[in-house]
Amino acid sequence: MDTSSLLVHTLNGLSFGALLFLVASGFTLIFGLLRIVNLAHGAFYLVGAYIGLLVVAATGNVLLGILVAALAVSALGLGLERTLLKRARGKELPEVLLTIGIAFVIADLCLAAFGGDPKSVTMPSVLSGAVQFGSVTYPRYRLFVVLVAVLVAIGIYLVQHHTKIGAIVRAGVDDREIAAAMGINVDRVFTGMFAFGAALAGLAGVVGAGLLTVLPGADVEILLFALVVVIIGGLGSVKGAAVGSVLIGLVDAYSKAWIPELSYFTIFAPMALVLVFRPAGLFGRTA
Amino acid sequence: MALSKARRTGGLAVLAAVGLALVACAPPSDSDSKVGESGTVKVGFLSPVTGTAAAAGTEMREGWELYWEQHGTTVAGTKVETVFEDDAGNPDTALTKAKRLIEDEQVQVIVGPLLANTALAVSDYVTREGVPSLQPVTAADDLTQRKQHPLMLRAGSYTGSQMNFPGGKWAYEEGYRKAVTLCPDYAFGWESCAGFVRAFTQAGGQIVKQLWFPLGTQDFSPYVTELGSAGADIAFVATAGGADGARFIKAFNTFGLKGKLPLLTNCCLVDQPTLRDAGPEAEGVYSVSYWAEGRDSPAVKKFVDGYKQKYGKIPSLNAAGGYITAEVFAKALEKLGGKAEAEALIAAARELTFADSLYGPLKYDEMNNPVGPVYIRRVEKNSDGEYWNVVVKTYDNVSQFWTFDKDEYLKQPPYDRNNTGL
Amino acid sequence: MMRRLTVSRLAVVAGLALAIAVPYLGVRRYYISLLALVFIAALLAVSVNMLAGQMGLVSVGHAGIAASASYAVGWSVNQGHGYPTQLLLALAVTLVVSAVYALTSMRTSGIFFLMVTLALGMVVFGLAYRLSRVTGGENGLRGVWRPPGVSETWQFYYLCLAVLVLVMLALWVIQRSPFGLVLRGIRDSESRMSSLGYSVAAYKFFAIMISGLVAGAAGVLSVWHAEFVSPSSAGFLRSALTVIMVILGGVGTWLGPLVGAGVVVWTENALSTHLERWPTVLGLIFIIVVLFAPQGLVGTAAARLRHRRSRTRS
Repeated sequence: MDTSSLLVHTLNGLSFGALLFLVASGFTLIFGLLRIVNLAHGAFYLVGAYIGLLVVAATGNVLLGILVAALAVSALGLGLERTLLKRARGKELPEVLLTIGIAFVIADLCLAAFGGDPKSVTMPSVLSGAVQFGSVTYPRYRLFVVLVAVLVAIGIYLVQHHTKIGAIVRAGVDDREIAAAMGINVDRVFTGMFAFGAALAGLAGVVGAGLLTVLPGADVEILLFALVVVIIGGLGSVKGAAVGSVLIGLVDAYSKAWIPELSYFTIFAPMALVLVFRPAGLFGRTA
Repeated sequence: MALSKARRTGGLAVLAAVGLALVACAPPSDSDSKVGESGTVKVGFLSPVTGTAAAAGTEMREGWELYWEQHGTTVAGTKVETVFEDDAGNPDTALTKAKRLIEDEQVQVIVGPLLANTALAVSDYVTREGVPSLQPVTAADDLTQRKQHPLMLRAGSYTGSQMNFPGGKWAYEEGYRKAVTLCPDYAFGWESCAGFVRAFTQAGGQIVKQLWFPLGTQDFSPYVTELGSAGADIAFVATAGGADGARFIKAFNTFGLKGKLPLLTNCCLVDQPTLRDAGPEAEGVYSVSYWAEGRDSPAVKKFVDGYKQKYGKIPSLNAAGGYITAEVFAKALEKLGGKAEAEALIAAARELTFADSLYGPLKYDEMNNPVGPVYIRRVEKNSDGEYWNVVVKTYDNVSQFWTFDKDEYLKQPPYDRNNTGL
Repeated sequence: MMRRLTVSRLAVVAGLALAIAVPYLGVRRYYISLLALVFIAALLAVSVNMLAGQMGLVSVGHAGIAASASYAVGWSVNQGHGYPTQLLLALAVTLVVSAVYALTSMRTSGIFFLMVTLALGMVVFGLAYRLSRVTGGENGLRGVWRPPGVSETWQFYYLCLAVLVLVMLALWVIQRSPFGLVLRGIRDSESRMSSLGYSVAAYKFFAIMISGLVAGAAGVLSVWHAEFVSPSSAGFLRSALTVIMVILGGVGTWLGPLVGAGVVVWTENALSTHLERWPTVLGLIFIIVVLFAPQGLVGTAAARLRHRRSRTRS
């Protein structure tokens, strides 16, 4: 295993992990505040991917695609939260069922609207092609994915710790009742957070469409990865999602290179370890 | 309280006794009549229309329907009526739907399903019911080898290994001596790679490395990296269609291997779904398959033009499989004067020969598998600006056993991870 | 009080009588086998319902236990073993897999339990794919013939009905037993029960083992029904659909799993013939049930009945 191969595999792991972070962060934020395991998160990713695809095909602008998809999926999430999820708030099992039902409907409607062919985003020239450093050729787009993930991570951190909204959210996560007693409109915060989580999923969808491809079933694939990442990182913790996704991305890349027969199981190994030794996740709350 | 409980238990006991008594005598069975109304033949068509194989299953259906539209549904005075069912790419669903088609709809022939695992799931049941089946797309080797059955004919496709043998021969003839292979890690992949490997090594080539990717792989970058550093002078890569082709091609190109590492792929990696999505990236790629939509032949042209007119896209291998199966069925039915009787239908189909079908000059062997040409193709842009596969070389009369002796071949175990054709 | 018991009991008995009579009513073979499928799905749903209703533990991986039993039978058949050996092997495998599930998950609860079982189910799925020498990989194992005496469609139907009824009765007994009381106590408050001296983990372990045995039975019937087994039997979709059946019917209700199984199996098989967008319909049904019948179909019906009765009394 020479160093340039090792470097390439590491970059592969980091870029895949970057995508996983984008998906897992929205998922974990929604859980952190609303205590909802949003099993429709994969479907949000799927819708975002298809919408972004259409926008990029029409305008050639990836950033615009990301923006439109994030806004559209956010609106979808907002609508669903207000009309459906609100009615089941606080009841864990009905919430899970609701999100599964929503996921079924969205995924099937996507199949009806976009067909079963795999689709991917046509990259503008600035993002396609590769960069050369030394003997290593690496695709530019994958580096772009890492950049997006880092920016999103910084953005979330800044909002969480340096803005009023972030403080409100943190208060709501810590203690819902006291926050409400202090006059915070908890209801509106919940809705806002769900919409934001959905927006992240939509963003991840567009980014993922360029990295992988979009087709029916992509929603379930990405949801399972997100669940594993969040179990490792800890439900509700964005820091945990970051660590978990980098870990899983690297484990996946290395195992595909060195122990391909076991590569399917390797992502469950860290998860199993975490569950045995620290069931709340690396950064989860042990409440 | 105690009284009602006792009453209830007593009631149940009585019921149990009655039940046991009933069980002793069998209930009336369905009045199954397989001949059906005179003048109509009912065909049960199974394919995945939802699920991950939705695109392929839909195209298979489209190919079948196009044939009847072009030629009419009446054959030798008999009307052909097709009942469509969705198996969702799931073996359990496929079985239930097959049961519905045969027991409820009383179809006389089954066409499909598409995926190998669903085909294997229903074949025991279908043959036990005495219903003949025609396979339009399934490439599982064993359906016409160790698990061959007189009521089953592979009408519309070649076996996984059969369609790739000539690829190995071609690679050697082109001067390549060291190959690296990458195939999906399940039966279709094992058989596809084995086909290439056996012919390539038979000619004198050497396999330097074999890579396998699990089903559902999202990210081909680790594999592409490995291909590049394997020290081979040609890479043979197979996928089962779907998203994998486009994902692989894009990864291959963006990692800088295009033009640096010669590539030969199987049928499905550069099939139309991939070319619709990644046509420009795939331009110039060589592949080996029994179907070439860009082949210069009147039969192909009639099909491709008709399909384009109806569905707005160039047909894929799945559509071709559906179409040619309809043709085989129609011609066999005609030979029988409109009577679709189980073994007779399969026998009539087996005896068919085509001077120029969609796949070229075609006939069937005694194991109910096609024998015909296999093409080396290249992805090119046609006059409409779309991408398709044109023929650059033809290998005639390829059988599922290649140049090997049939009995010797069948004595070996099926291809898998430990028996990869080396 | 007595009247209510008799009315609902009578309904159950009537339903059972109808179920027994079905093959004699001239119903087509296909529908009989579809009903058998409902019973098998209900059996798996019952096993999930036991943990979900009695203990508040929702497993989204139980199809893995059922599939393990199916594969045990399938492998055994292909080795040429007789039926008693097949069943013994299935029992052994079910016990081992259930124990693994139990040991890994018994110290978790709520959402963590859900995720652990989901992951376990995926591991079984992965093993089914990878150990292709044993499991046949993607193609699975075929030729799993039913034992003589239950090989006809109608005979097998009775077998499934009988097993379902027996299991439901057994679980009804367990529910009413002291063991069941402890389980529900754990569901309500683990800390209270452990401070009372009960070993919460041990009770969870046994509950999961019992539930696993039922799932294993469902697995054996399932592989005999289809006469093959493939990895999709262990997949996430199957486990998720089972949970949906439980929730649709009403978590913790006795008849809920059967009703839920009926709705889902019917939508998956019968509705899909006429409607290509059947997954959308299934999703919408769930959403409607969650919003307007949050205790599930049976749970809400039972609550309505109780409410009406208490009103007429006053």
